[in-house]
Amino acid sequence: MADGTTTAELDAPGDLVSVADRLDGWLEELDEPETLVEGRREAWERYRELPMPQTASEEWRYTDVEDLRPEDFGFVEPEAARSVEIEDLPATVQEVLAGEQDRSGVAVQVDAGEVYRRLDPELEEQGVVFAPIVEVARERPELLEDRLFSSEVTDAEEKFWTLHRAIFSGGYLLYVPENVRVPEPVHAFRYLEREDAIVGSHTLVVAERGAEVTCVEEFLSPDLEETSLSVGGVEVFAGENATVRYISLQRYGRGVEHYSVQHATTGKDSHLSGFNVALGSDRHRADVTSHVEGPGSESEMLALWFGDGDQHIDHHTLQYHKAPHAYSDLLYKGALTDRGRSVFRGVIRVAQEAQLTDAYQTNRNLLLSEDSHANALPNLEIEADDVRCSHGATVGQVDESQLFYLKSRGLTPLQAERLLVFGFFEEVLGRVPVEGVRSRVRSAIERKLGF
Amino acid sequence: MADKLLEVRDLHVTVEDEDIEILKGVDLEVDHGEIHALMGPNGSGKSTLAKLISGHPSFIASRGEVLYEGDDVLEMEPDERARAGVFMAFQYPSEIPGVSISNFLRTAINAGRDEEDEISVFDFRKRLKDALELLDMDESFADRYVNDGFSGGEKKRNEILQMAVLQPTLALLDETDSGLDIDALKVVADGVNRIGDQNQDLGVLLITHYQRILNYIEPDRVHVMIDGKIVESGGPELAEQLEEQGYDWLREEKEPVSA
Ligand SMILES: Nc1ncnc2c1ncn2[C@@H]1O[C@H](COP(=O)(O)OP(=O)(O)OP(=O)(O)O)[C@@H](O)[C@H]1O
Ligand SMILES: [Mg+2]
Repeated sequence: MADGTTTAELDAPGDLVSVADRLDGWLEELDEPETLVEGRREAWERYRELPMPQTASEEWRYTDVEDLRPEDFGFVEPEAARSVEIEDLPATVQEVLAGEQDRSGVAVQVDAGEVYRRLDPELEEQGVVFAPIVEVARERPELLEDRLFSSEVTDAEEKFWTLHRAIFSGGYLLYVPENVRVPEPVHAFRYLEREDAIVGSHTLVVAERGAEVTCVEEFLSPDLEETSLSVGGVEVFAGENATVRYISLQRYGRGVEHYSVQHATTGKDSHLSGFNVALGSDRHRADVTSHVEGPGSESEMLALWFGDGDQHIDHHTLQYHKAPHAYSDLLYKGALTDRGRSVFRGVIRVAQEAQLTDAYQTNRNLLLSEDSHANALPNLEIEADDVRCSHGATVGQVDESQLFYLKSRGLTPLQAERLLVFGFFEEVLGRVPVEGVRSRVRSAIERKLGF
Repeated sequence: MADKLLEVRDLHVTVEDEDIEILKGVDLEVDHGEIHALMGPNGSGKSTLAKLISGHPSFIASRGEVLYEGDDVLEMEPDERARAGVFMAFQYPSEIPGVSISNFLRTAINAGRDEEDEISVFDFRKRLKDALELLDMDESFADRYVNDGFSGGEKKRNEILQMAVLQPTLALLDETDSGLDIDALKVVADGVNRIGDQNQDLGVLLITHYQRILNYIEPDRVHVMIDGKIVESGGPELAEQLEEQGYDWLREEKEPVSA
């Protein structure tokens, strides 16, 4: 890289130093509680020991990251929170904020720094915490204990998880005390604008006994010319009889690769619902695990994706039943057009003690073009004998007789296809309780279909 | 009106990819305001005729012509035909899970219209409500997904609901009566008649196996199709004769016994 800097470049943000070159030094200087720094250091060491996931492994067979070197991307150092006015937020974020009023909390992060946060003061009084993890680690470390980075990740997840742990920035804790009900969604925006960079946001949701909360995390960026990586982590804990809905809405522009490891744990008789939407980015890989640990608990796992251009969308799921009498239901539906690729690999694992488990898994894929391709690999690993489990996956095209039926009523081929695609997704979308999310998903799909 | 509503001339139809000829020279004319019944044994080609007219991709006209108000229908895409006023009530309507009847019908009415010409929400609701009332259907029906989990009779009723909303000029009703209970048959038949009252131009080709529906929807002409050809045409009394005697006398009359 040339040393001389022209005046034109002076205003541009400084070039980033890679994670590999910067992290050790940064950890030395870092002003964070020792437990966090220590955790980062351990994770960074472990990360360096591990090879990149190999396509020879079942979990990474169709998503080739062998040549990816995440540590060579520019490290965006977590900045101190700065506060900007709503008018100064990225336009796409403002658009969403203007579109719907009913929110109990909002946070906006740009690259690695938080720029805006608000929580309904009434909820604050009731003890709800919605704050950056670093801040919580300083002021109320007990809220993080045994929760932050406590998830048992699999070997296949460990590489990205350790990287995430080492570099995570600006993540927040959403904590809801016993029997407190957060009436409207809490909405976190992750806006990425740096090129050739890597960022990683962590989300920790803790709902105590009888609490209820809906958390929406929305990933946005402009189209980037130089690829940037987003390496996210999510941990969700639903306490006894709590209700937690977590929604991840990935609407990055092109030029972003998004890797996400998500672990959720159900308490006794709790209701957990996860909804993953992948619409943007060049490549999306999410590993989503539901640890069904509470007897009588329910875990709903939903996902929807629509890949166009050369997008590659990969979901790996695990419904891990460890307690008796619990229920999990997974419905993942994806559509592809152009040269879109998708992978679904789902496992239902029922431990021996998880008798009377009800677990279902369905993956449906709709191919709208000749050159699109979907891989679907459902799996059962059952050790208990008194269970009800079913799984199924399909890959299909638009049904010709349905298409003709719609055309025979005057719909153009494009309108007919649009209606069939919406009909296909409605089974998932109809189960999502946040209208703003539904409408943004619908309009993103419309755009991809050429409307 | 100068042009006939529907003119079918020497129509031969084959199945795509296969050499089998299903229609072997059909001639038929339906004028504005007329009701024609088309009868005939199973597999004789009645549905094929209706599907070909509405543009089903499985069938190819290898010879002959089909004119709709003077225009060559075979040159038109299926959706163009529909927007021009051709409507088919299917013998086996498709199920479209996830798409509500009201959403579907609003899209259908607005299909091919410019944005500024789209039907207003108010006008659409009114049209839908009137159609539901016409067919004695509950308003909540319009929120259900198109034919998803419908009973056989509900599907048939839903076809005529769509006809009432879309207000076509030519309606091809393929065994709309089969699967309907006695009361429903009367409601649906009344519905078709009232749609006809509202639109004097409407022509109907009504495919059926049973004379019963013709007591309610009185045909101007009755045609009998056997083995891909119309072998007999007559007035309403022909249907009664068929009800009593079946088709054998027509087969014997038209086909040499030695075949
Ligand atoms: N796609 C197809 N491929 C091959 N043969 C077909 C196809 N569609 C229809 N046929 C054949 O064409 C013939 C006429 O079928 P059609 O459905 O038009 O009969 P129909 O008169 O409507 O009978 P029904 O009274 O039982 O409804 C039948 O022998 C049928 O098997
Ligand atoms: Mg038929």
